[in-house]
Amino acid sequence: MKGLLLIALVSFSLTSAFSQPGGNKSGSRKKNRVSYMTKDRMQREENKFLEKQWWLGLKGGTNLTKAIVTKHFSGVSPANYPIADALKEYEDFKSYGSQVTLEGTFYFRQLSLSLQPTYSRSRFVYSNYYAWSDPENAGHSLELHYRQTQKTEHLVIPLLVRYDITATRLRPFIQAGAFAALLINAGKEVTISGTDYASGGEHEFSGDPIIVGAKDLFAPAFYGLMGGVGAHYHQGNIRLSLDISYRYGLTNIVSPANRYGNDRLAGVGDAMDDMTMDNIVISVGCVFPLRFLGNAYKAVDNK
Amino acid sequence: MYRRFLLTLWLLPVLVMFFTSCVEETTPELEEEKFARLYDDNRFNESIIPIDVAQTTDGGYLVLAKRRLPESHFTGIYLMKVNSRGEFEAAQELDVQYVNPVGELMVADGNHYFFCMDELTVQTHLVRVSENLEDIAVNPLQAGLTYPAAASLQGNEFLLLSYDHMEKLSVLSLVRPDGVVTASQGYDIGVGDEVEEPIINHFIGGGKKFPFQTGRIPGGAYFFNGFYNYTFSLVFTDLNSEEPMGVVQGQHDDGGFSAVLPIVSTKFAAARFNFGDNFLLPNVVLPPNAITSSVDYPGNTLPELVPNATVKILRTTIDGTQTLVFASETRSKQIALLFYDEATGALLGSHYLGFSNPFEVASVIATEDDGLLVCGTAYLAGRFPRICLFKLPKEELAEKVRR
Repeated sequence: MKGLLLIALVSFSLTSAFSQPGGNKSGSRKKNRVSYMTKDRMQREENKFLEKQWWLGLKGGTNLTKAIVTKHFSGVSPANYPIADALKEYEDFKSYGSQVTLEGTFYFRQLSLSLQPTYSRSRFVYSNYYAWSDPENAGHSLELHYRQTQKTEHLVIPLLVRYDITATRLRPFIQAGAFAALLINAGKEVTISGTDYASGGEHEFSGDPIIVGAKDLFAPAFYGLMGGVGAHYHQGNIRLSLDISYRYGLTNIVSPANRYGNDRLAGVGDAMDDMTMDNIVISVGCVFPLRFLGNAYKAVDNK
Repeated sequence: MYRRFLLTLWLLPVLVMFFTSCVEETTPELEEEKFARLYDDNRFNESIIPIDVAQTTDGGYLVLAKRRLPESHFTGIYLMKVNSRGEFEAAQELDVQYVNPVGELMVADGNHYFFCMDELTVQTHLVRVSENLEDIAVNPLQAGLTYPAAASLQGNEFLLLSYDHMEKLSVLSLVRPDGVVTASQGYDIGVGDEVEEPIINHFIGGGKKFPFQTGRIPGGAYFFNGFYNYTFSLVFTDLNSEEPMGVVQGQHDDGGFSAVLPIVSTKFAAARFNFGDNFLLPNVVLPPNAITSSVDYPGNTLPELVPNATVKILRTTIDGTQTLVFASETRSKQIALLFYDEATGALLGSHYLGFSNPFEVASVIATEDDGLLVCGTAYLAGRFPRICLFKLPKEELAEKVRR
């Protein structure tokens, strides 16, 4: 719901922006207007525009997640085999998530300070494998595979410093900063499959997944650093952007107090590890300037 | 606008401080307060079914369990030690000569004790276990007591119920930790093989299990829940006469008490079964000097419980209220905890443990940090019986009983 509100807000802002005068459509009229300006005045306005500007925009894209375990926990405690055999196996950067970002940037002489509140959905997967066997009878064997998918929704609030490497129409940039991620919702899906060799043959089976809301299992917030590269392409009044960022989580994303709080998950021996979460975030979008557009000036930053 | 923006930057340190205070960290206290553990054993043919659990002086827990013995009619003995966070530390399987472990797991002289029997002679043995499982001593009782069925700690002695298959007697005895029997009295179960059959089946793996129990009214009579005069009965005695002081008769082997907890004088918390039905009696008066029938005490019926359900009763204080915790198992194979006000017998709340796999209750104890530890059987993969422990913190319990 919160995500929808965010999207609606951004859409409204963009619609308003594109409806402002000064777009490329009024071609010949603007040319006439420009012809009345002196070259000095044009240059002054151009410099103002370039040196100090607010940008607002929307971007969205996909993300990949890696969970980094800081402390192992398990609901299953082996009594006659090494605990390492009961540890989870994580799939790193394999499950796609998505995000949509409202970007507000203050630009000043190739440096920018950017606040980018993001509604981010991430997924990561881990697996457990258990086997029971009888050394004296190979037929007495059962293997179970638990595949657990975590789906989280966070409001990520990064504050970034960006540097435009060139001042050309295509502007590559680098950016770095910190972020806070506030939990909106979370869920878990456990799929149990296995192979039973003991019931008269090799029988592979798979049960219906256990799907539970898991908001309580995750920390209400976590924090981290992020950095990345990207490029802007100036097109008329707007800038099209593509950026790739790495979000590096610094704090635990799991709620230790509620680790065993979900009875359905505890019943299958699941207990989440303490972990941080890293994301590779790929976004495309566009931003538009907030200054000068209310006057008669068109975008002059069109080198 | 620019200045306003710069001013807002001053809010950043405040925000950082706020966010930092929200960081979630695992602490040793958190790990001890609440956990849920399934203790797996990867042997296909192994069955480990817990009987009782006790907290150790290091904050950990010692679990007494029985295990399936392929070569025997009886169950073997399995002991497991976990730390205060429920993490596995050690396990011991006693020699297959010793079978039929019997709860409670009793603490005396800094050691833990329980009874078992010799597989061949069926003579009762007392087992002394150190907390770390490194020192285990099994000694036969001096008196020839056979088929131990239940035991409890009464003062410095153990109150043992056993079955004398030669004389067809239920025998109640007081046993010192050194194995000396200081008092013993037998009670006639009746004549005929059909009376003895359910008792022997109880001891054999796979047979119907009966809720044998011993105890004592505070400062008053001893009692046992066992077979007497052809029925599964609650028998009160002073251990001086073969005639009981009083009896609450069951319905042959189809009815009787499934758990009894004396509160004070004639006031009890109890649960009974009757041809599969279950009734909880959180506040019942049982006269120890009269002959009555278990069906005289109706109680709260609980159709959600499995037929003839195992019931464990714990008396404890939760959120300042003297509370009775009834632990049992549901038809959906969960462990049910029902909280009753001891003073009024009113239901305060309930809590259910275990999903996805079948679960059965074995024991529930109060822990040093005012929480609860529930010990039970989890059928991993739906088929392998293994020990499970659920530790519940006092805050969560308080929420359960708060109205």
